[in-house]
Amino acid sequence: MSQERDSGAPGGLRRLLREPLLHFMLIGVVIFAGISVAKGLNRPTVRIDAQELEQLASYWELQTQRPPTRAELASIIHERVDEELLAREAVRLGLDKDDMIVRRRLAQKMAFASEDVAAMAEPSDATLQAFYDKTKDRYATPARLALRHIFFSSDRTGVSPENGAEAALAELKAGRPAVGDPSMLPQAYADVAVTDLSRDYGDLFVAAALKAPEGAWVGPVASPYGVHLIRVEKRLAPEIPPLAAVRIDVRAAWLAERRAASNRAFLDKLRRRYKVEIAGLPE
Amino acid sequence: MAALKYVGPAVVVALLMGGAVAVSAVRSPQARPATSAPAAKAPSSPARLPGYNPDRNAYFGDLHVHTYLSNDAYISNVRRTPDDAYRFAQGEAIGHASGFPIRLEGGPLDFTAVTDHSEYLSAVREAARPDSPLHSLPFSQNLFGTDAAAMQRAFTAFVEGSRSRALPAEYDDPAVAGRGWAEIQEAAARNNRPGRFTTLIGYEFTSAPDGRNLHRNVIFQGSRVPGAPFASTVSADPEDLWRTMDGWRAKGIEALAIPHNSNGSDGLMFDSVRRNGQPIDRAYAQLRARNEPLVEISQIKGTSETHPSLSPNDEWANFEIMERYIGTDKPVTKFAGGYVRRALEDGILHRERLGVNPFKLGFISSSDNHNAAPGGVEERNYFGASGGRDGRPEVRDGLPAGAARTWEGGTSAAVVRQTRGGSGLAGVWAEENSRAAIFAALRRKETFATSGPRIKVRFFAGYDFPADVLTRTDGARQAYAHGVPMGGDLLPAAGARSPKFLVWAVRDPTSGYLQRAQIVKGWIENGVARERVFDVACADGLKVDPATARCAANGADVDLKTCQPDRFKGDVELRAVWSDPAFDARQRAFYYVRVLENPSCRWSTWDALRNGTPPNPRLPATVMERAWSSPIWFEPRV
Repeated sequence: MSQERDSGAPGGLRRLLREPLLHFMLIGVVIFAGISVAKGLNRPTVRIDAQELEQLASYWELQTQRPPTRAELASIIHERVDEELLAREAVRLGLDKDDMIVRRRLAQKMAFASEDVAAMAEPSDATLQAFYDKTKDRYATPARLALRHIFFSSDRTGVSPENGAEAALAELKAGRPAVGDPSMLPQAYADVAVTDLSRDYGDLFVAAALKAPEGAWVGPVASPYGVHLIRVEKRLAPEIPPLAAVRIDVRAAWLAERRAASNRAFLDKLRRRYKVEIAGLPE
Repeated sequence: MAALKYVGPAVVVALLMGGAVAVSAVRSPQARPATSAPAAKAPSSPARLPGYNPDRNAYFGDLHVHTYLSNDAYISNVRRTPDDAYRFAQGEAIGHASGFPIRLEGGPLDFTAVTDHSEYLSAVREAARPDSPLHSLPFSQNLFGTDAAAMQRAFTAFVEGSRSRALPAEYDDPAVAGRGWAEIQEAAARNNRPGRFTTLIGYEFTSAPDGRNLHRNVIFQGSRVPGAPFASTVSADPEDLWRTMDGWRAKGIEALAIPHNSNGSDGLMFDSVRRNGQPIDRAYAQLRARNEPLVEISQIKGTSETHPSLSPNDEWANFEIMERYIGTDKPVTKFAGGYVRRALEDGILHRERLGVNPFKLGFISSSDNHNAAPGGVEERNYFGASGGRDGRPEVRDGLPAGAARTWEGGTSAAVVRQTRGGSGLAGVWAEENSRAAIFAALRRKETFATSGPRIKVRFFAGYDFPADVLTRTDGARQAYAHGVPMGGDLLPAAGARSPKFLVWAVRDPTSGYLQRAQIVKGWIENGVARERVFDVACADGLKVDPATARCAANGADVDLKTCQPDRFKGDVELRAVWSDPAFDARQRAFYYVRVLENPSCRWSTWDALRNGTPPNPRLPATVMERAWSSPIWFEPRV
C-alpha cells in the first residue's frame, strides 16, 4: 500500500495537476480575487455635491431661522449619507418593488417631469388672442354706475319718508332743488359696481337704478334705510377687459389647459406603449 | 394750521401706501418656479379701481379663518380647502363637515385671510393619505373618528401632543408644512380680485405657554412672504416672532401680527412682565408696537373688550364672555391682562413710564371659524365653528340631550365645550378694495370690529369741524380735513381747547336697528386707570340724561317664540357731535365708540326655535349685536 503510495505520489500529483476540477477551482480563485480587487477599486460612490450641501443647510435654516454650526452641519451630512446608503441598499434588494408609497412618488415625479417638458412652450400672441376670444367672458367686470340719490330716512319724524320723497320729486320735476335727510352714506357715486350697490342698498334700489333713464330723477325707491330718489348719470354695461389688461391671467389659464391636455396625451401615449392586463376583466 | 397737528399719521400712511404698491407689483407664486422669463408683461394696472372713494369706503372681512390645513379642523372632519374658504367668502355655498350646505346670508365679504395654524401645518391632512409616510404611524390611527366624542378625544390628544412637542418626528417634516404653505399662497393668488375681493396671505402663530393663550394671526401685506411661517414650535415667545418679523421687514416682507383670545390667556396677553420675567422696557414696547398695531377684540370663543369684574359700571360689559382656557375646560382666574380696555389703560401707564405705549391697539373682530367659512357668524344662520364637533345643534348645547323636549335632563355634554358666540367681523375704512389699500388701513388702525352684523361706524376727533358737519353731504371729507380718524392720535390745541368727537353709525341692512352709540373713555388719574362709558346718541328721538350719561330706554324687545324684534324701535343711523365734559388737556386718554343694536335672538335661541324646544337656560336668549371703533388717543406733551 505504502509502496504503491510512494511510487504513486508523483504520478498522483501529475494526475491531480491534470484534473479539470482543479483547473476550474483555480480559475475560480483567480476570478474571485480579480473581482474582489476590482470591487475594492470600484466601490459605488455616495457623493453629496456642493449644490446639495447648500440645499441641506438652507433647508435647516428655514426651520430654525439661523445657519447651522459646524457640528450641526456635520450631523446633517452624516444623516444624509446614512439615508443614501440605506436607500441604495433597499433598491439593490428590490424593496422598492410593490410599495405603494414609492410607486406614488415615482408616478408623481414622472407626471411633474412630463409637465415640465410641456411647460417650455410659451404661447404666441396669436395663440393667446385666440384663447382669450374663446374664454373672455370669464374676465367680465360687473355693470357700473355713476349716480346721485336723495335720501329720506325711516328715522325721520313728521312727514313720512315716502311723502317726503314724493314732494321732493315734484320739486325736482318743476326744476327746483330738493333736499332729503343727512346720511353717512355717500350721496353721489362716480363709479360704483352694481354688486357693491346691491349689498349696501338692496336689490330694489339696484333694479330701479338699472332701468332708470340717464339724467332724470326717479323714485321713490325703498332700501333698508328708508326711501330714495335716484338719478343715474351714466351707466356702464358689464365690460370685458381687453387682452392686454388680463394677459397674465389668460396666459396662466392657457398654460393650465395646455398642461392638462399634455398630461392626457402623455398618458394616452403610454397606454399605447404598454399592454394593460387586469385580472378578471377582458382586455 | 390745525392740519399740521395731524401730519404724523398722514405721512405714515403715505409711506405705507408707497411701500404697498411696490410690493404688490411682485407677482404671486402661482407660476411654476422652474419656468422663467414669461414673455407676458404685467398689465399696467389702473391707478384707481372701480368704487374708489377718496373719503374711503367701509369694507368688511374676516382675518381669522381655518381650513383643512389646520390639524384641529381636519380632525373635526373639515375637508374644505383655502380655495373653498375664498369661494365661501365671495358668497358661494360649500359643504359643511356635518353634511349640509352652508352659505352666507348677508352676502359676500370684501376681504378675507386664511390663517391656518403654522404648527405642523397640514400634517393631519397628509397623514390621512394612504401614500403618506405619516399615514401608517400609530399616532395617526386615532385621528379620523367621525362622531363628536371621538373627534374631541383626537383633538385633545393632538393639542396636548403639539404643546408638549410629543408628536412623531414625521409630523415635523418641513416638506409637509411647505406644501400647505404653498397651497395657502396659491389660493390667495388665485382668488384675489382687485376692486371686488381681496385675499391676504396669513397664518396663525399658536403659542400657549401652560395653556395660556398667546395666539396671534400674522397677516402679510402682499405676495412676498417668508419661505416658512415662524411657528410657536420654534419659539413660543411672541418677542421672537416680532424679531423675526423685523427681519422679514428688512428683506422687504411686510406683515403685522394680531393677537386674539386674550380672554383665554389668564392675564398673560397684556401682562406687564415679559416671558423672561423682566418688566416691560422701552425696547419691548417699541418692538411690540411696531409689529402689533391691532387686536382681535371679539370672535367665536368670546369677546375680549372688557369683563364685568373689570368694568363694573358698564352695563353692557357682559357680552359673550368666555371664562375658560382655549380648547380646555380650565377656568380663567386673572381677568386683568386678558381684556383689551384694561390693556389700553395699562398702555397709557407704560407710556408715561417708558415713553412708548406697547398696547396702542386698533380693533378688529373675526370669526376663528374652522369650517373654511369666513364670516360664518350670523346668529340665525349659525353652523358652529369646529366642523363635526359643533356643526349640529344637538352637539353644541343648542338642544337638550337625547332629543328631549325640555332641559331637565341637561345637555349631551359628552365633549369639552366652551361658551361660543356668533362673532365677529373686521371692518376697515379704505379708498378701494385692494391688498394695498386694506393693508394700509390695518396699519394705520382705521379699523373697526363688529359682533357679526355689518354695522358701519365712523369716528373722528378735532377742534374745528364745521358746525353742520353731520348734516353736510361732504361730511366725511370735512371730517378728514379737520380731524383725525379712528386709530389716530389727537394732539393738543393751543389754549388747551376741548376737542369735538364725531360719531356716525349706520345699521346693517340685513340685521337689526341701532339702539344707541356710546363713547368709552379711559384715562389715568393720579397713577390709577379710570374708565367711563358715555351714551352719545340715542335712537327713537330719545335724549341722554346728562347726570347718568345714559339714553332713556327705548324698550326694544324680541319675541322669543318667533325671534321677531319689536317693530318701529331703533334707528337706521345714529349721529352725534360730542365733547368730553371732563376733558383735561394735560391728561393722556383714549376714546372709542361702541354702537349697540336692539336685542335680537342669539344663535342658541334660533336653534331652539327651529327645534320647537325652549332655549338653553344656561345661555343668554338674546344678544345686543354691536360694533366697536378703534380708539383715538389724546396725546399731550409729545
